[in-house]
Amino acid sequence: MSANPLDRVRVDRRTTIKWLAATMAAGYAGCSRDEKRVGPEIPPATSSVPAAPVRVAGYGKDPDLMNPAVPWPRTLTDRELETAAALADMIIPADAHSPAASAVGVPDFVDEWVSAPYPEQQADREHVLAGLEWLDTESRTRFGSSFAGASDTQRAELLDLVAWPERTPPELAGRAEFFRRFRWIVVGAYYTTAEGMADVGYLGNTPIAGPYPGPTEEAMAHLRGILEQLGLPAP
Amino acid sequence: MSGERHDAIVVGSGAGGGMAAYVLTKRGLNVLMLEAGRHYDPYKEVPMLTPHRAAPLRGVSTPDKEFGYFDATVNGGWQIPGEPYSSAPGSEFMWWRSRMLGGRTNHWARNSFRMGPYDFKPRSRDGLGVDWPISYEDLAPWYDKTEAIVGVYGSNDGLPNHPDSSPGVLHDPPKPRIGELYIQAAARDLGMPCIPARRAVLTRPIDNRAACYYASNCGRGCAIGAAFQTTTSLLPMALATGKLRIVTDAMAREVLLGPDGRANAVVYIDTKTGKEARVEGRTIVLAASACETARLLLNSKSASFPDGLANSSGQVGRNLLDTVGASMGAQFPLLENRPRYNEDGAMGLHLYIPFWLYEEQARGELDFPRSYHYELDADGRKEPSMGVMGSIADWAGGYGVKLKEDMRRYYGSFMSFTCRGEMIPNGHSYCEIDPDATDRFGIPTLRFHFKWSEHELNMVRHFQQTTKALIERMGGKIHWGGDLTPEQAISKGGQIIHEVGTTRMGDDPATSVTNAFGQAWDVPNLFIADGGVFASKAHKNPTLTIMALAMRNSEYLADELGKRNL
Repeated sequence: MSANPLDRVRVDRRTTIKWLAATMAAGYAGCSRDEKRVGPEIPPATSSVPAAPVRVAGYGKDPDLMNPAVPWPRTLTDRELETAAALADMIIPADAHSPAASAVGVPDFVDEWVSAPYPEQQADREHVLAGLEWLDTESRTRFGSSFAGASDTQRAELLDLVAWPERTPPELAGRAEFFRRFRWIVVGAYYTTAEGMADVGYLGNTPIAGPYPGPTEEAMAHLRGILEQLGLPAP
Repeated sequence: MSGERHDAIVVGSGAGGGMAAYVLTKRGLNVLMLEAGRHYDPYKEVPMLTPHRAAPLRGVSTPDKEFGYFDATVNGGWQIPGEPYSSAPGSEFMWWRSRMLGGRTNHWARNSFRMGPYDFKPRSRDGLGVDWPISYEDLAPWYDKTEAIVGVYGSNDGLPNHPDSSPGVLHDPPKPRIGELYIQAAARDLGMPCIPARRAVLTRPIDNRAACYYASNCGRGCAIGAAFQTTTSLLPMALATGKLRIVTDAMAREVLLGPDGRANAVVYIDTKTGKEARVEGRTIVLAASACETARLLLNSKSASFPDGLANSSGQVGRNLLDTVGASMGAQFPLLENRPRYNEDGAMGLHLYIPFWLYEEQARGELDFPRSYHYELDADGRKEPSMGVMGSIADWAGGYGVKLKEDMRRYYGSFMSFTCRGEMIPNGHSYCEIDPDATDRFGIPTLRFHFKWSEHELNMVRHFQQTTKALIERMGGKIHWGGDLTPEQAISKGGQIIHEVGTTRMGDDPATSVTNAFGQAWDVPNLFIADGGVFASKAHKNPTLTIMALAMRNSEYLADELGKRNL
């Protein structure tokens, strides 16, 4: 019963709905997530040389929650990290609201993730490593430059092949799944930083003395507008 | 300890065991408690405000911590190394355990709904299952007393089968949040009530426990004592009497029967050394959890009870029940880009939808006999996590500055609806000793059989149809769960972690394990104080009722001891 069942869920609308529903069934309420995983319909494309699996211990069933620590070593090479950073920044660039993914440690988190010994992360490891290699190779073939060294326009040309599954050519479906998973990791990592939470306006995790104040007047006015549109009475 | 004879040995320190120890020590009895897990102190071990990003993998669930890194569960989960269980062919049962002082009270959702008059007499209403040997009126005063100690927020709404508490007992419920008010407006329009939920969370201080400060997920445990768990309430209060001794890391293996036909001792394994020890008591109270207690009894064989202690009825392990679960998620365009405010609240339900169709059901207008309630995941502006934010990105698609705009736009626009329903006992759902397996202590383990019936599946179908109508009335788009059959949507047995029924109480020793006081028919000084004694499993989350029964039955035990009847 972590904060939200979606925490362990990869939402692939085509394929994991049953599993997701089963896990959400458990919801917050003292309750559970399913153990079974339904793999993606389209297996992520892998490299001709599979990524070496990580074989180290996890943090165990009784870690020190007051002093959390990551016990496994990072495993990405400098080149993989460079590619990961360039891709992460294409997904989350700096804008007027908040910094780019690489400015808040997201590439290092990708390394933490794909280096973890657990099944979900090990599955990601295989296709993330293969996907990064594919991006880099494809970039060198098309542009004569590494993905990290390519221009934003060149990178976008590659991403546009895989970022919208409905537009992706069938032979690249596995790469699209890689991109979706990589984006899932990057977005999760980014919006759990202080900068990311501020960007979307998460205002909680702040102790309040006295009763919970509830929604602001602005939020209530907005709700009244919604209910009016729907012909529902205001609370 | 050896040689000392306690007034009561209590096995288990969760809801039932904690309450039993509290009542018995308050009555001046000398109690020894055995807990299979380690000592645990929420005041020192709960990382209240630590953000997800401080945890490995941002705190996501892993096989080591299946509800996420910061979940309170210690040495537990769906699987415990060295402590297996199995499911019979054709069954898949999930069993959540924890090995820690306070048991599963350390991380539950704190939903605390009273069972009502219909819930205690289900067979009288629809001819299925069995009635309880007690009525709601029998338990009502104990609910009041339990709620007063536990601290439960909620309101009295006077709805059928959703009983009011006595005046002054409940704590004020927290104000509803935007999503909940939105659902409430649509639900009422469709004839469904949507009222304050009841949760074991303080909104005013009691004893030395602080009121909720509206931050930090209750599943982590509560270092300020606001969210109820026995480790910050019943156990310290019982210890303060000087009458309670707790032995942790003590895995009960067997209850011994004396030559007089009375249970006189519990044999346990010291899990740190593997050594066996034995403690003696005038009475034995089992509160190890419904399935662990059944296992303990089934493993306590003697010449008098070759099929397990207190099992002359053959009912130990039978009548296994869990809550019916199903869910559906939706996105609400009208909630996009909504105003920001602190939506954490009490970190659980503020409002919920109680079952509302009792009259229609009694008139035969429904194709399922029992009831369910809705739990609402309506705090869309909750703390960002991997899963929440990653799924929004999947919804939005694309990348770059546009994706960042979409993240702002969609964050807070998703909600989900969860069914919590009643299962009816059936002959296919039970646990038994697995003839082929033992745990790391050499104790034979459980094998589960489990099957839903059409009653539960029809209920899920009704939930799905109703939820679609609700989402449509709200102008939402189904996000997930909308195209599942009931068979696909229904939870697995055990998955909702509401196992009860395996040592049920009744009026007839031939069809039940205990009498109306949780006292074993076969062994008068043996009591059961966990969810095993439930004769039916209402859709309501069982913990509050476990505690109310444990309180009532422990008072009875103390009375009987005082009268020298035990």
